[in-house]
Amino acid sequence: MNTTLRLSDLKAGDRARVTSIQAEPAIRQRLQEMGLTRGETLVLEKVAPLGDPMELLVRSYHLSLRREEGACIFVEKEG
Amino acid sequence: MVTIALAGNPNCGKTSLFNALTGARQHVGNWPGVTVERRAGTFRFEKGEEGTVVDLPGTYSLSARSEDERIAASYLSEPEVDVIVNVVDATNLERNLYLTTQLLELKRPMILVLNMADEAKAQGLELDLETMRKLIGGPVVTTVGSTGEGLEALKAAVLEVAPGTSAPTMPHVNYGLDIEGEVAKLELEISRDEKLAATMPPRRLSLRLLEGAPDALEMVERSHASKAIQARLESSLAFLDDHLGADAPTLLAEYRYGFARGLVKESVKRGETPALDRSSRMDRVLTHRFWGFPIFLAVMVAVYSLTFVVGAYPQDWIGTGFEWLQAFLGSHLPEGELTSLLANGIVPGVGSVVVFLPVIMILMGCISFLEDSGYMARAAFIMDRLMHKMGLHGKSFISLIMGLGCNAPAIQATRTIEARSDRLITILVNPLISCSARLPVYILFAGAFFSPFHGALVIVGMHVLGFALAIIMGKVLRLTLFRQDQAPFVMELPPYRMPLPRTTILHMWEKGTIFLRKAGTVIFAGAVLIWFLSQYPGINDKSLAIERHKQEEQIKAQGLAPEAEKAAIDDLEFAHQGRIMNNSYAARFGQLVQPIFRPILDPDHRRPEAWKDGVALTAGFVAKEIVVGTMGVLNQAREEGEEGQLSPLQQNLRDNSGLTPLTAIAFMVFTLIYIPCLGTVGIIRKETQSWGWTGFSVGYGLVLAWVLSWLIVTLGRALGLG
Ligand SMILES: Nc1nc2c(ncn2[C@@H]2O[C@H](COP(=O)(O)OP(=O)(O)O)[C@@H](O)[C@H]2O)c(=O)[nH]1
Repeated sequence: MNTTLRLSDLKAGDRARVTSIQAEPAIRQRLQEMGLTRGETLVLEKVAPLGDPMELLVRSYHLSLRREEGACIFVEKEG
Repeated sequence: MVTIALAGNPNCGKTSLFNALTGARQHVGNWPGVTVERRAGTFRFEKGEEGTVVDLPGTYSLSARSEDERIAASYLSEPEVDVIVNVVDATNLERNLYLTTQLLELKRPMILVLNMADEAKAQGLELDLETMRKLIGGPVVTTVGSTGEGLEALKAAVLEVAPGTSAPTMPHVNYGLDIEGEVAKLELEISRDEKLAATMPPRRLSLRLLEGAPDALEMVERSHASKAIQARLESSLAFLDDHLGADAPTLLAEYRYGFARGLVKESVKRGETPALDRSSRMDRVLTHRFWGFPIFLAVMVAVYSLTFVVGAYPQDWIGTGFEWLQAFLGSHLPEGELTSLLANGIVPGVGSVVVFLPVIMILMGCISFLEDSGYMARAAFIMDRLMHKMGLHGKSFISLIMGLGCNAPAIQATRTIEARSDRLITILVNPLISCSARLPVYILFAGAFFSPFHGALVIVGMHVLGFALAIIMGKVLRLTLFRQDQAPFVMELPPYRMPLPRTTILHMWEKGTIFLRKAGTVIFAGAVLIWFLSQYPGINDKSLAIERHKQEEQIKAQGLAPEAEKAAIDDLEFAHQGRIMNNSYAARFGQLVQPIFRPILDPDHRRPEAWKDGVALTAGFVAKEIVVGTMGVLNQAREEGEEGQLSPLQQNLRDNSGLTPLTAIAFMVFTLIYIPCLGTVGIIRKETQSWGWTGFSVGYGLVLAWVLSWLIVTLGRALGLG
């Protein structure tokens, strides 16, 4: 069963699909413009040495986000 | 003449293309009223006509939420732009094409430039330009920014769509029946106000309204049709919400990305993709959980050494050159006011700035290299956690570290920080980092009032205190003045690429000239002012001059060895300078401000010498090195001493000045915190483009310096120290 998680709860190497973004409009739009749209698959590549920010692979480029922003993004983990 | 504007994502190779296009025929300025650099230049078409090219700031979208985006969006609607040249990274098409979908909405002649064609080829991507051309509705060309390959095709494509030709109709993203229906209704309302419809294509304005863009809403408010448009917008938004299960901005972004993905699918064939791209392999080491940090620190040490250790040599040569010039002018020009202004005011004043030139150029070269290679984003990735705690950004770290060498270039290094609030805070806290010019002041006082061991601790403590204050101030500024201004940290980690030496050198040259021009003017004025204050009203007493002349004759008559004779005459001059100084406006100012300094430097009101501190600290406005020199002149004691012993000046301070170890620390703390030098003030003005922030920086530095020194003295005395 697919459960909805926050992006910030994923572990390095996890693959997941974006289901929704719940943040104030400006931040949400920014994340969507960077390619994090609903249904898009991403891979959590790694976490910075100090635990924050995170590095994602999305739309075949590398994007880094703070956990703060990651917590606004809801995802479904893929196998 | 045809004017083209380069638009594209950051890191798509726009700067390289711009440089290849214009060569040296370019100049850098600022976009009106903001701190963003504006680069413009000229180039020649095949037939010889000239064209103008303007490089826009790299942006991911035209939503006009950030300063960069606002500039790009508004410039692209200027009538002056004839053709939009949309540069995209061919190896990262999907994300790059998002911006393209928005550019198409502008309804202006446009060409698509697939840059990084060499890398695309190496990755086995086959680009079908014909299909792309059909889908985009305009010419598509491939280029290699680093070699200039494809530039002729680019220019030909520009002429193909330039005004006067029948530009092909441009497609646009189809947002589906429901949205398109609402857009059409909005367009209808908008086109009732012709003026409004002329400022932005009604379709784009409708979409912007659906996205809830503040600037679009404002535009509508000014329209006479605003009532009707707003009513239409409200019912459209309600309708879409009901029917589509998501809000308009989300849907628009999805359709745009759908368009981009569709375009890629139809026009790009992917060969064998390598299992792991080169950048990911490099990142396995460079941002590794354990190795990432030591490597980052090693890079910082390397940049620091290259800048401040290697840079010290040319700095020395320039310094020596100016000293020579000063001596030459002093001895070859007829004695007089003008000579004094030149030899004692302008030449040393300007010299004290120009010596920073090599350091600035080297540091800017390093920063440009780190930025273009892609490592800067990794550095920010590694450091962001720490910096974020301070209310700063990952990229602020480099600026803070470089502040240890010199605050002026360190503040210039904040250029790489995109968000305005992050940048401003970094600029404002940077002067708290103890630059190398403050070290002589610490050495002077620590040596005079503490044992070598404790003195070393005090000096280290000053640097630690500087960092601690920067952290606290960063946090305070973030929580107060910049509370509303939180930019999300959403940063691309671009592929590693070898920067072009030409780009790096151009960048160094540019920064060097900007520094000389801008900081130079402030310093020049400052140098003249300080010269005037410290030389005037001077000593009019003729008898003193005669006296001095007599003494000089006497020394010469003694028939000393040339060296001893020179030393004796120097002493005479030194004493004379002291007399002028003691009588100068600067000294009067020092006496005037003495009451301000009394609580921190003279809490017992028992120091007749206390006015000298005020003079020295006032002179320190120009540069901190001057504090020591001024102290020397005022106390009539030289700064240089025998190896391993206190210098005469230190002896004098300890025995005669009335300062105690506690007040000496207060003096050092004050020196640490108040504005580092006139050069830094000039750079802050240049980088913030605002006298307001510049004034704020100077003002809060002074207040903080006073309050903290006062606290130290007061607490220290309460504890029975001093
Ligand atoms: N291989 C390759 N590298 C390029 C090309 N164009 C630019 N670069 C490199 O890509 C990096 C970023 O380029 P730059 O012009 O600074 O991009 P900007 O951020 O869009 O201005 C630099 O290291 C350039 O040397 C290209 O066509 N091919």
